[in-house]
Amino acid sequence: MFGYYLDLAVHSLRRNKVLTALMVLAIAVGIGASMTTLTVVHLLSGDPLPGRSHTIFYPQVDASPKGKDSDEPLDMLDYRSAVDLWSARRADRQALLVQSQVRLNTADAGKPAVMTMMLSATTDFFTMFDVPFRYGGPWSEQDDASRARLAVISDDLNQKLFAGGNSVGRTLRLRDSDVRIVGVLKPWRPSPQFYAVRGGRFAAGDTSDFYARPEDVITPFFTGLDINDGNFQQFTCWHMPARPGHLQDAPCVWVALWVQIKDAAQVAAYRRFVADYAAQQQAIGRFTHAGNTRLRDLMGWLDFNGVLPGNVRLQAWLAVAFLVICLVNMVGLLLAKFLRRSGEIGLRRALGASRAAVFAQYMVESGLIGLIGGAFGWLLTLVGLWLIRQQPVAYADLVRLDVPMFLLTFVAAIGASLLAGMLPAVRACRVVPAWQLKTL
Amino acid sequence: MSLAVMLKVLRRHALMPALVLLQVALACAILCNVLFLVWQRVQPMVAPSGLAEDELVLVDQITSRVRPWTGADVRAGQLALSRTPGVRYASAALGLPMIGTMMVDYTLQSPRGVKVGVNGYFGEGLVKSLGLQLVAGRDFLPSEYQEFGVNQPSSGVPDTGSTESIIITESLAKQLFGDQPAVGQILQVPDEPDGHGYQVVGVVRHLMRNQLALATDGRADNTMLTARRVGDTAMVGYAVRIDPAMREVALRGIRAAINEAFGPLLSEDIPVKITTYAERRHDALRGARAALWLFAGVTMAVIVVTAIGIMGLTGFWVQRRTRQIGIQRALGARRSQVLRYFMVENLLIAGAGVLVGMALAYVANGVLMRHYELPRLPWSYLPIGGALVLLLGQLAAWSPARRAAAVPPVVATRSL
Repeated sequence: MFGYYLDLAVHSLRRNKVLTALMVLAIAVGIGASMTTLTVVHLLSGDPLPGRSHTIFYPQVDASPKGKDSDEPLDMLDYRSAVDLWSARRADRQALLVQSQVRLNTADAGKPAVMTMMLSATTDFFTMFDVPFRYGGPWSEQDDASRARLAVISDDLNQKLFAGGNSVGRTLRLRDSDVRIVGVLKPWRPSPQFYAVRGGRFAAGDTSDFYARPEDVITPFFTGLDINDGNFQQFTCWHMPARPGHLQDAPCVWVALWVQIKDAAQVAAYRRFVADYAAQQQAIGRFTHAGNTRLRDLMGWLDFNGVLPGNVRLQAWLAVAFLVICLVNMVGLLLAKFLRRSGEIGLRRALGASRAAVFAQYMVESGLIGLIGGAFGWLLTLVGLWLIRQQPVAYADLVRLDVPMFLLTFVAAIGASLLAGMLPAVRACRVVPAWQLKTL
Repeated sequence: MSLAVMLKVLRRHALMPALVLLQVALACAILCNVLFLVWQRVQPMVAPSGLAEDELVLVDQITSRVRPWTGADVRAGQLALSRTPGVRYASAALGLPMIGTMMVDYTLQSPRGVKVGVNGYFGEGLVKSLGLQLVAGRDFLPSEYQEFGVNQPSSGVPDTGSTESIIITESLAKQLFGDQPAVGQILQVPDEPDGHGYQVVGVVRHLMRNQLALATDGRADNTMLTARRVGDTAMVGYAVRIDPAMREVALRGIRAAINEAFGPLLSEDIPVKITTYAERRHDALRGARAALWLFAGVTMAVIVVTAIGIMGLTGFWVQRRTRQIGIQRALGARRSQVLRYFMVENLLIAGAGVLVGMALAYVANGVLMRHYELPRLPWSYLPIGGALVLLLGQLAAWSPARRAAAVPPVVATRSL
């Protein structure tokens, strides 16, 4: 029976090509717009560390004398608190992180120097965040302590400078210092660049920079402070730093600390440790208050920062509202189409077709329109995603259609058109045969 | 034909009109909100800057690699720039229009208790360098300037007992003081409870703020100039007013002057930016332009889809009533009457749809506002969006109505 209905549907769609084209267009445009924006939402709101994000935490204490216990603490740590908490080693893994802009001279190649972002981190960064290596590996804790002149570079930079070869042992010149490459990463593109997320609550929804690429150069934390001294940016200061860019002793917050706590039972203990640290700092007069320490897990921190850019969410809303318009539009057009064939329906009914059979016939026809609309909608989604890739936003290169979203395109298109076809099909199967036969 | 009859017909066959109504309502709700979003993005683009735009060159990101610039460094740079051929005036400044790297914001409070958030620009002689038009009061006197920098009180509170002089814009004066003259009035900054207050000495016609996201709803001109000379600072910029006839010469001269004044100490890592105002404006509004294209696309798509829907439904509606139209024509109705009937009918349905749509627009904006930091949709957008949709409905109904009017009376005699 399904084959027969399909046949009828194709026949019917061919009969009025303009109306069919309009319906397919409506569903395709609606699905295209919705799937484009939903794909972006899907890509930008995922878990950057699936399976381990619940063990990653971001401790915060509030060193600012302007803060209050009732306020949120500042988004980053001052140097002393960060180093104190890190060196206590109360978590399974802990990494200090700071980013800075650095001049990169390629020692051998005759290329001009470029400015690039450098991440300076302690070695747990690689193991804690499961950063994949192509060549070599991370440095040791000993290297962290001895401020060894080492670096790990990204796959991108390795392609650019060393044509993708094994560059372990080669030398990079960062500002005025030579560093030896000990590791080369595989392509690594977390979405968002979660370890650098902060300040989202001050961004008024403009958070697309959270999706920037990871840095090309990663050095040990203290090494980075040495070689790029004077180029560090504060998150905020409560007094002007005496020497710009040199923040170790400045009244500023600018360092991030991430910790991994694998055992859920230990989380409370670590939380207490952070609170105790703040209380102790208050006791010795370095903090003015200690009541607003925090220990959010990774996803909690991303939520708190509202990482999904405001305009992406807005576009998703607009697109879904637009899909609703397209659906209502389709309901109307299908109704017009089906009821025009009242005579035909009357004849089928008079010849013994049940209401259910008529209903099924028209649902098949709606579904077919959905399928064709879905195919065009898929093409439009590809166009939409291409347009987004052309935009000057940090997440542009992340945007692509993955398998689940590809399938969802067709499921949504067929589902939407079946939904839209429901009312017209119900009306069609209620046609009274006798009336229609009279007018034949 | 009377309205009562028309309504009776619509009630009897309620499904078709209901669908048109729903479409119109949804289109109206979306268009009202999108128009509002468009206007939010357009306002910073059309707000008058108050600057001598053609003559302005902005220099910023002058950063030292060893120590902060001293007040003397900053003044030497200003002197070198103002002696450059083709340059009329130059001022060192913290905070410049269309540059977001350094922003100063205040909350000003008038004696009547009105609070307004403003951006401030610091620098000596900015009225002349930016080419601002004074409409009341005077420019700062050379003796009024106080040096501001790292080693001065960082909270910005004047350390003398006297008030500090400021120049505000006409629009800001209106918000703070209503129709009273602004010159001579005292303003407080509530964030600085021990502040000594700011005295308005002059009013300029326009001066655009550099926090562009806030340059909407009449806030584009919420800007003030303070009588502060740039002291020691890590990063400094200059507003340079040039002779537009000598632009090329002046631009080359400015680069040379900066290199000469700051040369060996300049950070190699952060390049100095020397651009005309027009270039800066183009860059600063890039995001807003991209958003506008998107909204234009959404608007077009909504309009096209809705028009198709209304046309299709009205066409079907006309087709079903071909015979009745024929009877009416046979009984003496003119073509123009039939045409008018269908147009008025569409107006009626679309009108009801617009009413529903305006309510829906308001609710949708309320939801968006709560979750996505959007401002409240002003009432005035509702009738604009509504009128647009009504017009759209009439245009879409025109062709089916024409087809209805073309039905010949002889149809009435067929198959009766």
